[in-house]
Amino acid sequence: MQELQLLHDAILKGDAKTAKSVTEQALASGVEPLKLVQDYMVPAMGEVGRRFECNDYFVPELLLAARAMKGALELIRPLLVASGVQPVGRVAVGTVKGDMHDIGKNLVAAMLEGGGYEVIDLGVNVSPEQFVAAVKEKNVQIVALSALLTTTMPSMKTTIEALKQAGVRDKVKVLIGGAPITKRYADEIGADGFGESAAGAVALAKQVTG
Amino acid sequence: MNTNQLYQERLTRYLTALRNEKPDKIPIRPFVAEFTAKYAGMTCQQVAHDYNLAFEAAVKCAREFDWDAIVPNMVYVWTGLAQAAGLRYYGIPGIGIPHTTGFNYIEPPEDNAFMREDEYDALIDDPTGFLYNVWLPRVSTEVAAIGQPATYRHNLALVKSSMAMMVYFTAFGPQIQRLHDECGTVSAIAGIFKAPFDIIGDKLRGYIGLTMDMVTQPDKVLKACEALMPHLTHVGLTTADPAKQVPIGFWMHRGCVPFISPKQFQSHYWPTLKPCIEEFWKRGNQTMFYAEGKWNHHLDDFATLPERSILFHVDQGDIFLAHKKLHHKFALSGGIPNVLLSYGKPDEVRAHCRKVIDGVAKEGGYIMDASAIMQDDTSIENLRALTDVTREYGVYSGSTQSSANPAKSCGTLRPCHGADVSKLTGLSGLAAPRIKPGICRPWEEKARELPPITGDQDLVRRVWENVEALGNTYIWQLLLSF
Ligand code: B12
Repeated sequence: MQELQLLHDAILKGDAKTAKSVTEQALASGVEPLKLVQDYMVPAMGEVGRRFECNDYFVPELLLAARAMKGALELIRPLLVASGVQPVGRVAVGTVKGDMHDIGKNLVAAMLEGGGYEVIDLGVNVSPEQFVAAVKEKNVQIVALSALLTTTMPSMKTTIEALKQAGVRDKVKVLIGGAPITKRYADEIGADGFGESAAGAVALAKQVTG
Repeated sequence: MNTNQLYQERLTRYLTALRNEKPDKIPIRPFVAEFTAKYAGMTCQQVAHDYNLAFEAAVKCAREFDWDAIVPNMVYVWTGLAQAAGLRYYGIPGIGIPHTTGFNYIEPPEDNAFMREDEYDALIDDPTGFLYNVWLPRVSTEVAAIGQPATYRHNLALVKSSMAMMVYFTAFGPQIQRLHDECGTVSAIAGIFKAPFDIIGDKLRGYIGLTMDMVTQPDKVLKACEALMPHLTHVGLTTADPAKQVPIGFWMHRGCVPFISPKQFQSHYWPTLKPCIEEFWKRGNQTMFYAEGKWNHHLDDFATLPERSILFHVDQGDIFLAHKKLHHKFALSGGIPNVLLSYGKPDEVRAHCRKVIDGVAKEGGYIMDASAIMQDDTSIENLRALTDVTREYGVYSGSTQSSANPAKSCGTLRPCHGADVSKLTGLSGLAAPRIKPGICRPWEEKARELPPITGDQDLVRRVWENVEALGNTYIWQLLLSF
């Protein structure tokens, strides 16, 4: 559909106004909300991620695209919920305790959301207890942890231990990332996956839940 | 060897490397911040809140490690001062954040940035006035906004924080002397500078706000960067090493890919940065590019700067690529990942240091350091391994450094020695700002309020401007250093 392609393009260009108005019109004319998400939003964010990956897009473009997507999603989500459509999965994301860096974490959240996941963003400086509570109360399948400081990396380990202690470690997959994080560290602390970039977050999430 | 001889030898080694030449050994210059507390058995709270303890901890490290140069206090924010000024953007150990972590810079949310999106014109017109009138009351819990009634707390905050700044800065002289006398260690850098574009992101609009402004009002952003250039350059020049030996500290935050696009780098970041660096060099001052994050995309642009005008420090970027692209012009430092120093094994640290030395230090022009400043997570054992392996493996044969009488050469040994700067434009192409850098209110404005001055008018003017400069120092230092 020609007009709906405009939604895809608006997200790609980070044009929040158009993304919103096209979505409004589409919904008013009876287009399936899920179709908007699956056929236009997800591919658009996928393309955004691809362009980020190959240095065609940068953080500003990503931020703008995420905003355009969020604006449209705000209109669509209540309808999805009302019609009982389930998200691809539910993820709790947060920057670990002691760490206030959130640019990378927000990009990861946006990419996951753009990949059809429901994202529960716990914010920054998130304690292990808060992660545990999110797993217990929000029925998430994935917990995504971000850390930007070598001083706060150990909070990732503590968080995984807290999940074990609370008896919920088996219920969730734990993904970790952030500039100082390595595959080796992920293996050492028993995380299920490590991602170097926000662009690969959706593929990573699918892979670990797969 | 007494500490003075040791000092001269180390200074020569450090300066030779800064000149991108081959010293007797690779100089070691670790930027140790909260690491000093850990090593000296103190808490992060102690070194942040009591700078004398921080000085003590730094001296202890300098005395006990064979390091050529360190920063006199890399836990640079004295939180006593931050508290006196009521700075909202600091988490102070033990006050709201754990006493076991270092001080924390905290960015305000996008909708509560310290400068609003429609305030560019005010900033452009008079940056210093803007900082005092608009910015300071917003960043401080104590300072009253213009037009609001002055309060006891307002008055106290200004007096206390400015006197605290004076006391703190004055204490650096004796600390540097102590490093010389007790340890024979060089003070690694002098002065402070930040890129115009970066400072707008860091302390004024915030990164997200600035990113949005680059879409809605890129011309205003460019004008603001241009308006900041003479002022920031002035701060760099007035705080630089008077002997023109050690470099000006330039902390680079978010001016690189992926924070901005290559296009934005070319249109905003670089054209408003390069002239400042050239101006420093024109006056004989080298700049240390402390390239936080990854700057791989921008090395070709940096390579257009005059030979030796910078020292390029590598954080998460590719140090081998940096060497390939920059070594013909500049010395390098860093490139040893902090995650390795904190969580790796000493053997791994040794192996990595050797790899870096093999790859980038063979012809001199390399200074050993971690990638980022070292906080209390850095392992003592690993930093010792870094030091030892550099001393064992980082020795040059047939070097030009005269160890017989290094003191003789030190005086004239400067990065800028022998450089031809006659063709550099620097800031001279820039229109003069309405209010010149280094003061707050122009003398002409003040003079109009006064009866005709008799006697030595120049004296009166000079002293007015010198004292006015203190007011200028206060606000720009708050912006750049605290
Ligand atoms: C921006 C920034 C800040 C801002 C943060 C603002 C904010 N809202 O985020 C402010 C100014 C507040 C700040 C404060 C501090 N910072 Co800071 N900061 C940075 C800076 C410049 C950029 C970090 C960033 O945003 N990167 C960009 C994003 C996009 O990258 P990213 O987070 O790595 O994310 C990508 C991937 O890693 C991945 N990813 C991230 N998380 C996850 C999670 C999952 C699950 C997956 C799959 C992927 C993934 O996806 C992202 C996109 O691809 C870096 C230096 C630099 N240029 O890198 C220093 C840096 C991280 N900071 C540092 C330091 C030391 C500090 C302070 C301690 C300084 C101080 N004393 O105040 C404080 C600590 C505050 C705290 N408690 O957290 C050091 C850390 C050194 C170290 N030893 O680790 C750095 C490296 C600077 C340096 N070289 O010294 N900082």
